[in-house]
Amino acid sequence: MAETFATQKPATLIWCMGATQHTVGTANVRAFCILLLATGNVGGNGNGANIFRGHCNVQGATDVGLDVVTLPFYYGLDENAWRHWCRVWDVPFESMAARFDTPQMMGVPGIPTTRYFDAVQMPGQGAKREGDENYLQQRDSLKAMVVFGHGGNTVTRMPEAAKGLEKLDLLVVADPHPTTFAVLANRRENTYLLPICTQFETSGSRTASNRSLQWGSKVVEPIFESKDDYEAMYRLAGALDRAAERRAMPVRFQAELFKHIEVQGQQPSAESILREINRGSWSTGYSGQSPERLKLHMANQQHFDLVSLRGKEGTPVAGDFYGLPWPCWGTPEMKHPGTHILYNTNLHVKDGGGTFRARFGVERNGETLLAEGSWPKGSEIEDGYPEFTVAVLKRLGWFDELTAPEKASLEHHFGANIDRASWSTDLSGGIIRVAMEHGCMHYGNGKARANAWNLPDPVPVHREPIYTPRTDLIAQYPTLPDRRGFRLPHLGQSVQARSNTVGRDFPIVLTTGRLVEYEGGGEETRSNKWLAELQQDMFVEINPGDAQSRGIRDGQWVWVTGPESNSRARVKALVTERVGPGVAFMPFHFGGWFMGEDLRGRYPTGTDPIVLGESANTITTYGYDPVTFMQETKVTLCQIRSA
Amino acid sequence: MARLKFLCDADRCIECNACVTACKNENEVPWGINRRRVVTINDGKPGERSISMACMHCTDAPCAAVCPVSCFYGTADGLVLHDKDLCIGCGYCFYACPFGAPQYPRVGNFGGRGKMDKCTYCAGGPQADNSAVEYAQYGANRLAEGKLPLCAEMCSTKALLAGDGEIIAAIYKERVQRRGYGSGAWGWRTAYKEGLAV
Repeated sequence: MAETFATQKPATLIWCMGATQHTVGTANVRAFCILLLATGNVGGNGNGANIFRGHCNVQGATDVGLDVVTLPFYYGLDENAWRHWCRVWDVPFESMAARFDTPQMMGVPGIPTTRYFDAVQMPGQGAKREGDENYLQQRDSLKAMVVFGHGGNTVTRMPEAAKGLEKLDLLVVADPHPTTFAVLANRRENTYLLPICTQFETSGSRTASNRSLQWGSKVVEPIFESKDDYEAMYRLAGALDRAAERRAMPVRFQAELFKHIEVQGQQPSAESILREINRGSWSTGYSGQSPERLKLHMANQQHFDLVSLRGKEGTPVAGDFYGLPWPCWGTPEMKHPGTHILYNTNLHVKDGGGTFRARFGVERNGETLLAEGSWPKGSEIEDGYPEFTVAVLKRLGWFDELTAPEKASLEHHFGANIDRASWSTDLSGGIIRVAMEHGCMHYGNGKARANAWNLPDPVPVHREPIYTPRTDLIAQYPTLPDRRGFRLPHLGQSVQARSNTVGRDFPIVLTTGRLVEYEGGGEETRSNKWLAELQQDMFVEINPGDAQSRGIRDGQWVWVTGPESNSRARVKALVTERVGPGVAFMPFHFGGWFMGEDLRGRYPTGTDPIVLGESANTITTYGYDPVTFMQETKVTLCQIRSA
Repeated sequence: MARLKFLCDADRCIECNACVTACKNENEVPWGINRRRVVTINDGKPGERSISMACMHCTDAPCAAVCPVSCFYGTADGLVLHDKDLCIGCGYCFYACPFGAPQYPRVGNFGGRGKMDKCTYCAGGPQADNSAVEYAQYGANRLAEGKLPLCAEMCSTKALLAGDGEIIAAIYKERVQRRGYGSGAWGWRTAYKEGLAV
């Protein structure tokens, strides 16, 4: 296979969440990218990295900033980023800064969803004991949580999650169905379930895995008394404002953050939300996909070529790529067609071409990081170059090609610092427009890098999982040492050492994953009678050899036990050669049973899914990627016995 | 006149069950009744194959041959349909069918099974096309609307084909020629007394 991949062109590499859900998750992804770069499979038709997403708009939700390390569209968390978004939202920077406990906290990444329960259970800095690293790097523990569209049973270490949920002062679950969050802990007070519309009961843009945006129109009025996400957030912001008024606090949410959002009654319009995205997201080229352009694509779907994704000549969408895949640079008026293939130097930048981004500086250890001998078709600069700023435009003598309104916008927002205004913070889009007129990529023309010098393991290396049956490999391939990240302690080698003592009692490698019938946490799909009928019982796949040595028959009940928190799950055995000897697999979509207990009685009447079952993540264990804190769901240890 | 058939290309079926779900939703088929199902053989082993099965609407259908009340009838398109008002739920057709197509809604006293239910090729039953009574007893009548069965229309890999037997056979032959192999149009010899040689 390696030879085929290296010699046959084009080749593409497809992966999904699984590759990332490891203690070496980002290293895996970087290794894949390096493989594609080394084999010359980037930037052309039919090649490249294709990362498939599991749900509608997962890509879009990530882009608009649910990652706790960045403001929307990957601007980061530094002051420049905050000032940029304050300009977009029309909110004074000082007002935004005043919302934080200390000025430093404004730039500190938040707490990832994989660790919320640790943040509830750990003391904050105020209650920290001398010499104890087991604390949260903020004033207090996590006290309240609002969960929008998140299953809960998709996160590892559920016995710890149950304890964390019990300890929260306030829990709000906003979802079309009551999720595992709603029933896992036996909460009686200060727990709210907000019924939220499904994607078919609301409108808005949705981004697919290929970065294309589609306009989704409301298919039906909400069937139940639910509200869509926009209205729920708008009304929450309003309630916070009223509470702040009563307490004479200066902070305002609805009054300050919806200035450019059209609201009818209590309903913010999806179109105006996308327009605000367009106004601020120059960094990733979400700026050209106006609601009007997306709706035009939806109305002319028949005019796009199914292979090239291009609109056919002589149609209203001629030349555009379907869904204006980001980056769709500049303003909507610039009519950029979107970028179907990233880093394609065979096209003009105004036609969807591109370069590798010059985002790691211009040189390192005396060697240039800018491109050499490579530029996009039609570029006036036939060499590498750094990112465009006003200063760069001036040096090139192109500054006066900016229009008067573009210059006025730059003057207004940057004043004396105008030279430092960059293509990604220029709200007029003028810097991008001028650079592209000259065939240049405003984000620079650099080299791709295989050596990520600012990350742990700059070049990916093998590291044994935290819980491994091959303890003989730990010395040579240890996981990373204990450290801190995301306000939390992040244990590595100290937990990995447990493999030496638990291996005998938990000899089977357990991995988890998806089923075709169910989606994510599964509440929505397990509530659908057609799908529920196809998968009626939570199960564990076990190899016939392992089943025989344990006296386990196909279809019988078994207990799966794990090496942390005395975890156990009662599931049915699926004896199959789908898994090899010594390996077991469990799907992660089930919930509503916990360590042998049926929690059906905890769902509000009539809202319980048809199928309930133990969650695979009751058994999964500690282990996080060092950069993203993505959880280790793919490798742990377990034991299986007849129930 | 077209002779309508089903063809499942076992080299393409990925066992996604979209055909099963589409069938159930389109025809409101109750829990426990499967007009269509996906069967996987050699599960987890090299050479694993899946195949989507329903009533194949056989030539000289064995179900019709054994029915004591002659509830089956053929259509001009070659479909094998049945009249539930005549069916006595005896189960003979279940034993005669080589594909396990006939389904029964209940297990009752003295072996009573209820009226037999099976795939109608989304062509309803003997009542007036697209009437409420037809839908209640047999489900959708897409054929009367000029549409093909939803299972095949929904198939994500186009493993399951429905339509004029000659056309779908030609599509399958072209595929086999292009990819250089084919495990055969499964069930065709049994259902239609003909193989699909390439």
